Amino acid sequence: MVFSSIPFLFFFFPIFLIFYYIMPKRWKNYILLLFSLVFYAWGEPVYILLMIFASAVDYGNGLLMTKFGDTKKKRKIFLLFSVFINLSMLGFFKYADFFIETINQIGNLSIKPLGLGLPIGISFFTFQTMSYSIDLYKKEVEVEKNYFTYLTYVSMFPQLIAGPIVRFSTVREELHHREITRDGFSDGLLRFMQGLFKKVLIANNMGALWENIRGLSYETISVTTAWLGAISFTLQLYFDFSAYSDMAIGMGKMLGFHYLENFNYPLIAKSVTDFWRRWHISLSTWFRDYIYIPLGGNRVGIGKHLRNIAVVWFLTGLWHGAAWNFILWGVYYGILLTLEKYVWGKKLAKLPAFFQHIYAIWIVVFGFTIFVFDDMGKLGEYLTFLFGIAKNPIFGTEILYYLMNYGVLLIVAVLLSAPIYPWLQKKIEQIQTKRKKDVIKAICAVCYIALFLLTTAYLVGDTYNPFLYFRF
Amino acid sequence: MKKHEIRIETIISFCLAGIILFFSVGFFINKKVEFSVKENRYLEKFPTFSFQNLKNGSFTKDLESYLADHFSNRDFFMGFKTGFEKSLGKREINDVYLGKDGYFIEKYQLPLQNEKIINTFNTFAEKIENAEVSFMLIPTAISIYQEKLPPFVEDNRQMENFHYLSSEISGMIDVSEALLEKKEEFPLFYKLDHHWTTYGAYFAYQEFAKAKGFSAKGIEEYQVSVVSDDFKGTIYSKVNDYSVAGDEIVIFEMPNQKVEVNYQDSGEISDSFYEYSYLEKKDQYSFFLNNIHPFIDITSYDAKSEEEIVVIKDSFANCFVPFLAEHYKKIYVVDTRYYKDAISEFINQNKKIKDVLVLYNMNTIDSDLGVGGIY
Repeated sequence: MVFSSIPFLFFFFPIFLIFYYIMPKRWKNYILLLFSLVFYAWGEPVYILLMIFASAVDYGNGLLMTKFGDTKKKRKIFLLFSVFINLSMLGFFKYADFFIETINQIGNLSIKPLGLGLPIGISFFTFQTMSYSIDLYKKEVEVEKNYFTYLTYVSMFPQLIAGPIVRFSTVREELHHREITRDGFSDGLLRFMQGLFKKVLIANNMGALWENIRGLSYETISVTTAWLGAISFTLQLYFDFSAYSDMAIGMGKMLGFHYLENFNYPLIAKSVTDFWRRWHISLSTWFRDYIYIPLGGNRVGIGKHLRNIAVVWFLTGLWHGAAWNFILWGVYYGILLTLEKYVWGKKLAKLPAFFQHIYAIWIVVFGFTIFVFDDMGKLGEYLTFLFGIAKNPIFGTEILYYLMNYGVLLIVAVLLSAPIYPWLQKKIEQIQTKRKKDVIKAICAVCYIALFLLTTAYLVGDTYNPFLYFRF
Repeated sequence: MKKHEIRIETIISFCLAGIILFFSVGFFINKKVEFSVKENRYLEKFPTFSFQNLKNGSFTKDLESYLADHFSNRDFFMGFKTGFEKSLGKREINDVYLGKDGYFIEKYQLPLQNEKIINTFNTFAEKIENAEVSFMLIPTAISIYQEKLPPFVEDNRQMENFHYLSSEISGMIDVSEALLEKKEEFPLFYKLDHHWTTYGAYFAYQEFAKAKGFSAKGIEEYQVSVVSDDFKGTIYSKVNDYSVAGDEIVIFEMPNQKVEVNYQDSGEISDSFYEYSYLEKKDQYSFFLNNIHPFIDITSYDAKSEEEIVVIKDSFANCFVPFLAEHYKKIYVVDTRYYKDAISEFINQNKKIKDVLVLYNMNTIDSDLGVGGIY
């Protein structure tokens, strides 16, 4: 079940909320757990056992680590065990076939792939449970004694299938004591709605444009259209992914949880370094805190630093999917970040802001072109379209057709990738006269309701509504 | 902000929550309909539960479709979405171009079955011993009304594939030139349905007559009458644009023509090519030859010859067949999706059959399940 669907929006979530709100405090976790399990089982009726197993291992391991791990050395044994279990699961379900295929190609063998389906959200929940073990090892979080509370943390449906990666330390307090307020409900619901609108009205439409363009052949795709395609995919991914985070954060608030922000307007970044401070923050900080810094970070010699960057970005790429293009995409960023750090970062910062934006967005858009094609042959072909190597024309009238169909939404998407909304909010708060304020409030209310009905219309119409993270 | 003032966020969020509850409760209260008239399809039924279905995920998937299909005010929402998209400047909805002058034109999908079709047709023609086999592939609105496509859209692929198939299949009667020539003068295709009009069929009939060496009846010899002016067909159902007016259905009748139409599967016998009760329904094109039948046996009492013809076809032929009644004593109309025997045997055993016509439209021939049944 995805959030942007009729069953979730009109049935699952309202029914859950009613139960959740009327039940006494001590039952709320159990209600949340029960519904989360139903939510996961809805799409993964078999693999749910895997998730329950994984959290049982980490929970038990945590108890043992606390009991017997009086020294760092002893705790390390338990830590290694947890990491081993989690990575083996991830490796088996997500990477085994990729590994087999690669070996087959190199050695000219024909080992049969396992053909297992990837359990939804496995990359998110294994990273969550690992963060718990690592934090316990570092004694940065308290051990959880109640298994059901721990399972509630791992399986919590708002962030289960598409992130953000919520660390146990962030929500431990609230798992035990949280306040449910009317303001939390209101602010949370509106945040959820913003995410929903972004996903259904913008991301899905950008996705439809991209699907149109990627289907063109070299006879019909001009260089400009190819770039429009790359831009539309970038917008699709940003609006889709950040929408999931908005919806998760919003639902969290409604339940009394406060998750950290996951996106901070990444498309207005001024450099690649800046971009990664703003894009999928919960993932990049995970890699920073649990891999990059333990390896020594940048406080080591240049040789070791380069190695650290290489490791982290290879893994970041690989995390996004078991295919070469994701690795290439990670390495691409590793190289660019190194270059910014050691070669042109300082010069770049002196350029007028406009050029910095152009530089960063170009790298990001090109990067997502690598990201979107998990078939290297198709990627190579599309690159020839982007640079006119396929002898396709620079300009063709087909782009006018796409602009006619999607122009308005493209403009809206570009505007909303900048912090227009917070800026507007601030402006409205500054208004003093009550009359004016009331008018604006009324306009806001009408907008929300109209957008919600429109979103519902899109969902009822059963239009293009993809889930992009099944490879994560 | 003063303490007693209610926050705007509270007001909006309670409104939204109210709307959500309104629709979820409405779902349970509303009477469930089985068939959507506007969309012309059966809606999803409540899925049957079994452990197997649950395990492979099909139960939850079907349940999701069920919830979406029976959502209250579904028709309103579909129309709302189309209206919004049109106002944004979209000229394409559900693989349909919203063309000029109110033409809704279906997109052409790249053909995948070309070689199979060529092989089936040529093999079939070789099997027929006494009769002459001809093929007619009908280019659809996307080829004939190119200039009605939205601005900046160019799509010649159907025409290109038409020429390719024509060059590979022997016995092809080319109707494309005739249709292109008459397209300004007459509406050859419906604006809201994927079929051709009776005019389209008539000009194809002229080409058929030319190829067979008999003279076609002139348009002035027929009684041309409008039987419906609110036909909203299959393409309309894909787009859900409720603002457009329906098409006219026109028929050409030969005065005092006496025919007997025998629908062999149902046993119905009629003295007309038309079933008027369909004009009261959504699916008005079924008016021609009473919708779908595996085998129809037509006797034309006033025919100028004793010859017989077999027409193997898709639904495009349903408005074409009446034109043949002047020239053939008997017309056998075969839908090979449902006719399960070898039609070539029937033809070879029946020595009076002089002609065989295979008629399909270019847009759906690639996915037509009947093609495999021609042998």
